[in-house]
Amino acid sequence: MTRWFEDIVIDEVFPLGAHTFGKEEIIRFAQLYDPQYFHTDPGLARHSHFGGLVASGWHTVSVGHRKMVDALDAEAGRLRAAGQEPGVSGPSPGVNAMEFKVPVRPGDTVTYELAVTDKRPSNSLPGWGLLFNRLTATNQRGELVYRAEIVGFSKLRDFRMPLKLKLLLALTNLPLIGPLVRRKA
Amino acid sequence: MTNPVTQDRRHFEDLSVGEIITLGHATVTREMIFAFAREFDPLPFHLDEAAAKASLLGGLASSGWQTGALSLRMLVDSFLSKIASCGGLGFENLKWKNPVMAGDTIGGTVTIAALRRSGSHPRWGIVTLDFDIRNQKDKQVLTMRLANLVECREVAA
Repeated sequence: MTRWFEDIVIDEVFPLGAHTFGKEEIIRFAQLYDPQYFHTDPGLARHSHFGGLVASGWHTVSVGHRKMVDALDAEAGRLRAAGQEPGVSGPSPGVNAMEFKVPVRPGDTVTYELAVTDKRPSNSLPGWGLLFNRLTATNQRGELVYRAEIVGFSKLRDFRMPLKLKLLLALTNLPLIGPLVRRKA
Repeated sequence: MTNPVTQDRRHFEDLSVGEIITLGHATVTREMIFAFAREFDPLPFHLDEAAAKASLLGGLASSGWQTGALSLRMLVDSFLSKIASCGGLGFENLKWKNPVMAGDTIGGTVTIAALRRSGSHPRWGIVTLDFDIRNQKDKQVLTMRLANLVECREVAA
């Protein structure tokens, strides 16, 4: 998120934009990463229960990630233009759940949305918070393509470092004691 | 109605819980990292070596989604293209344990954790697969549990 942890509103929907999947890009992705016949060969795909070529779920998810990166980048630009400092997001530790619902066929347009469903300060990383993101992808008929629960880190704006941690950090910066403290920590 | 593409492949009835699939290997090159990042994850530390050196990871690393996609590719080559697979249902508990750096070679195993018939479709079964993906130093880089549909030979009563 390009907002600070404290400013993130639970369940506020953040539109990420849409992508139309072409036949060639579906086949190209699948040849590299998911070469199953219903993702790579329109002729053979007719024998599958899909009845034709469909995109790899990993492809629709990767495009969803791209949409999120672009939307957050644009939001950061808007905040800077308004004279505000955007929040800082950290790496994602993982994905709790990913459900593929209806397949994506060539020509389908998928619209992506993001919402933070829960947040809490991190226990392991002082100064950071954990975000529980829900990403949904919907096709042009309003059918759910996939739903994901993705975990992310976001920096706390109002973080005051506890005195104990400040002292420890100060000690690690001293030339003689530093290496000893660092080894202990 | 049999599917001519998959009729000679292993079906749901041929799989057993506990079966371990040994994956091949994939070496992740700079060019692969750049190509994936340009299309799906255009963050400076996946696109530029200098930015990558200055980042938390200290060097060029693949997008976590690319690590997952390469893990899937290895499973397709070793398993999904040899069974009567009819697509993925999703996954859970995906964890990016350690970054995959440019030049790393990944591989690992996938274990069949569960097998059950589909409740909604008499010709389908669901195979649950646990991924354990490691780098060349045997350090875990990714784990996840994937659910995939597979055709059954016998229609459920």
